[in-house]
Amino acid sequence: MKLTINNRPFETDAPPDTPLLWLLRDELGLIGTRFGCGVGLCGACTVHLDGVAARSCITPLSTVEGKAVTTIEGLAEGYEGLHPVQQAFIDQQVPQCGYCMSGQIMAIAGLLAEEGAVDEATLAEKVTNLCRCGAYVRIRRAALQAAAEVNS
Amino acid sequence: MSIRAVGSSRSRYGARDKVLGRTRYPGDIDMAGQAWMKVRFAGQPHARIRTLDVSKARAHPGVIAVLTAEDVPCNEYGLIYFDQPVLCGEVVRCEGDQVALVIAESEQAASEGRDLIEVDYEPLPIISSAEAAMRPDAFLLHPERGDSNILAHYKTRYGDAPIEEIFDDCDVIVEGVYRTGMQEHAYLQPEAGLGYIDESTGQIVVNVAGQWMHEDRIQIAHALGMPEAQIRVEYSAIGGAFGGREDMSIQIILALAAWKVGRPVKIIWSRHESIIGHHKRHAYTIRTKWGASWSGRLIAAWAECIQDAGAYAYTSSKVLGNSHLTVTGPYEWEAVHVDSYSVYTNNVPGGAFRGFGGPQGHFAAETQMNKLAERLEMDPVKLRLKNVLRDGSQLPTRATMPPGVSMGPVIEAAARAAKWTRQGNDWQRPATISDAATRGDHATATLRALPGHRRRGVGFAAAFKNVGFSFAAPEENWATIELHGGGEIERVVVKAVGADVGQGAHSVFRQMAAEAVGVPLERVELQAAHTDLVGSSGSASASRMTFMAGNALIGAARLASRRWEDEIRPATATFGYRPRVTTELNYETGESDPNISYGYVAEAVELEVDLDTGQIELLHVLCADDVGRAINPRLVEGQIEGGVVQAAGYALMENLVTEEGRIKTPYFSNYLIPTIYDIPRRTESLILEYPDPFGPFGARGMAEMPFIPLAPAIVAALHDATGIWFDQIPLTPDRLLEAFKRSSVRAFERKA
Repeated sequence: MKLTINNRPFETDAPPDTPLLWLLRDELGLIGTRFGCGVGLCGACTVHLDGVAARSCITPLSTVEGKAVTTIEGLAEGYEGLHPVQQAFIDQQVPQCGYCMSGQIMAIAGLLAEEGAVDEATLAEKVTNLCRCGAYVRIRRAALQAAAEVNS
Repeated sequence: MSIRAVGSSRSRYGARDKVLGRTRYPGDIDMAGQAWMKVRFAGQPHARIRTLDVSKARAHPGVIAVLTAEDVPCNEYGLIYFDQPVLCGEVVRCEGDQVALVIAESEQAASEGRDLIEVDYEPLPIISSAEAAMRPDAFLLHPERGDSNILAHYKTRYGDAPIEEIFDDCDVIVEGVYRTGMQEHAYLQPEAGLGYIDESTGQIVVNVAGQWMHEDRIQIAHALGMPEAQIRVEYSAIGGAFGGREDMSIQIILALAAWKVGRPVKIIWSRHESIIGHHKRHAYTIRTKWGASWSGRLIAAWAECIQDAGAYAYTSSKVLGNSHLTVTGPYEWEAVHVDSYSVYTNNVPGGAFRGFGGPQGHFAAETQMNKLAERLEMDPVKLRLKNVLRDGSQLPTRATMPPGVSMGPVIEAAARAAKWTRQGNDWQRPATISDAATRGDHATATLRALPGHRRRGVGFAAAFKNVGFSFAAPEENWATIELHGGGEIERVVVKAVGADVGQGAHSVFRQMAAEAVGVPLERVELQAAHTDLVGSSGSASASRMTFMAGNALIGAARLASRRWEDEIRPATATFGYRPRVTTELNYETGESDPNISYGYVAEAVELEVDLDTGQIELLHVLCADDVGRAINPRLVEGQIEGGVVQAAGYALMENLVTEEGRIKTPYFSNYLIPTIYDIPRRTESLILEYPDPFGPFGARGMAEMPFIPLAPAIVAALHDATGIWFDQIPLTPDRLLEAFKRSSVRAFERKA
């Protein structure tokens, strides 16, 4: 199977029902995509498929062929330095334990790409990623900061 | 010196790696030649093992080894008592008991091998509640530990006369039966790790995420029957802990497996394995009765606290001590009579979780206080201030409070910030904290302006929480500081191995070391990765790490600086900080000098409740927390904001359901924790800095405190909104609707 991951071609003979998460982690060493629940609920494994946020733990490889996969490691490609969402997460000092951060950032970056503008209500409705440290106040602040920058 | 390091909101150490996805948690580490391990859990709450047949598993392709109880040299462990087998050989006492380990070439082969293990169980009676376990004829879960399932019983007998006589002289009596549920830690990083042999030292190494690496080492060495020096524990980045990693989960079995197969062994638990495989916040039932005078003076308190310890002790007795101490709140009393019981059952064990008994004790105490205020028709802030612990106050343990008591000023600051008004000694509750646009007059807005039968209310609660281990548990914290350079200090190497579980310990270690040595933060390098660097830091728990590590760092910096002045290069010093020794609770009277320091917190809440759906929305949470000195204010605010979210989950939605000893909610699909949708509309942090006389730079501990008063403050606000007292959490919609049905709240609403 031929895949495109972070703009680079990749070939694998992994079974087509393998969750994308484990290919990324085990075969490519892209450990920034995290395992949290395995059933698409927590969002720690969020990546982009053709720019749209998706939960990689419930995404079989067979559905990814021909699509561009972007992980946290590839998010900033094409930007000077960091992606605006990543920079906002640093500016707002969002991370505590940090485990959910890749997923949060990918979810918000995906939402910004899809919707352009976001407000508190959109975030509350569309970002369902879990953060047990409860850093949501800052996640919200960082998302709004990044949205303002992307749209300026 | 340029910028002061202490008191400054410097960027979190490692923040950049975390947003780039580069941080390595234990599951992110692989070694050449590693094998995979799976655990065979008991899967049932109570049974005798008739036979355990691992032959098919051993014969399965890819399986390297299957380990059982016979393979564990000293098959026992536990943080307080060694009452738990590493691998069960005779009896299983909870569904998360570990029975066998399968080590294989791949994770899949290990899973297949695990499923081929055949266990023949003889069912034993399942004790699914603490009350049932306390009956004299109850089946004994740990007969070797005595003739009762009661693991610990604490008493407080304080006052000059029998408590009933004193109640007779009280003007007002308030009673309640309070029930709090279990809570799952739900750290996003499930248990994971690697065990391996370090060929260069011959040590067995375990790389995990924990809270107290030297204690992990003690437990591993004990079970393996080896000297501690033979074991090294390393912590990678830790994906949340909250108390849930204080006890052993995979530490011992990783060491055992690596030792037995002589290869690196890796394990990653699934979410289901994590939820059944580690302890929970304890469920409690608290019956209590308080007596006061018409003038609002607290006189007498009686309480019976029953804690479900689950199948093994973990830290249950220590948690019980803290609820025992806090069930009478941060107040002065004439007489107190409390009995607290920790009881073995076949439920998932209870253990440490942010607040450590404080949330349960205060849920009862602070709801009692709010009910008493209602009975006395007195403002709840005024009532608290009349009775609050002060410098020189005596606790029901007969100990004098350690100096620096700020409970009164913290309550006042919270009340003022939440728009309470004061005239003389009288306080007046505000109509609203949040100035929400839809809100007009408090009494009428709920009826007129809010759509869909929504009502609003404001509530208040306070709490105190020990900083550091309590009741004679030994406290120590070691640090080494090396000063490198010639004429000036160019580089400072700090060795301090306290766990950074996300609270920011490693950031504040560096800030405190920079301040103590007097160099810019950028010159400080921290080494914190493993047990062999320096002595124990103790656990990242009990809101103790900043306090204890800070004092150790200051001590080491002082000694190293002296050597620097003596022209020694590098100037190196190691210092072990040991605070004043506390004492155990006397088993008959409850006399004790329980703690060296406390943190003080108060919260005001405004919420909206929907009478049709039973849903609560938190509009505004104000948290005033005396942290003594905020070493890094932005990190402190992060702990407040996060603690509030976690406590909101505890109070409103997190409902760990067990039935006959089995967890019925072992997934994120049925154990719900807050998302960004569920957080308060506004969380306001008010950092107060009344220095602790013994704290480093005046700092107190703070990370647990914001959790503690939220549930009773929410219950008070809900009462304000509906006129109904809720004595049980979580406040799930079904519980609310049931109560609305029973009361006249809807009828009143319709008429209005």
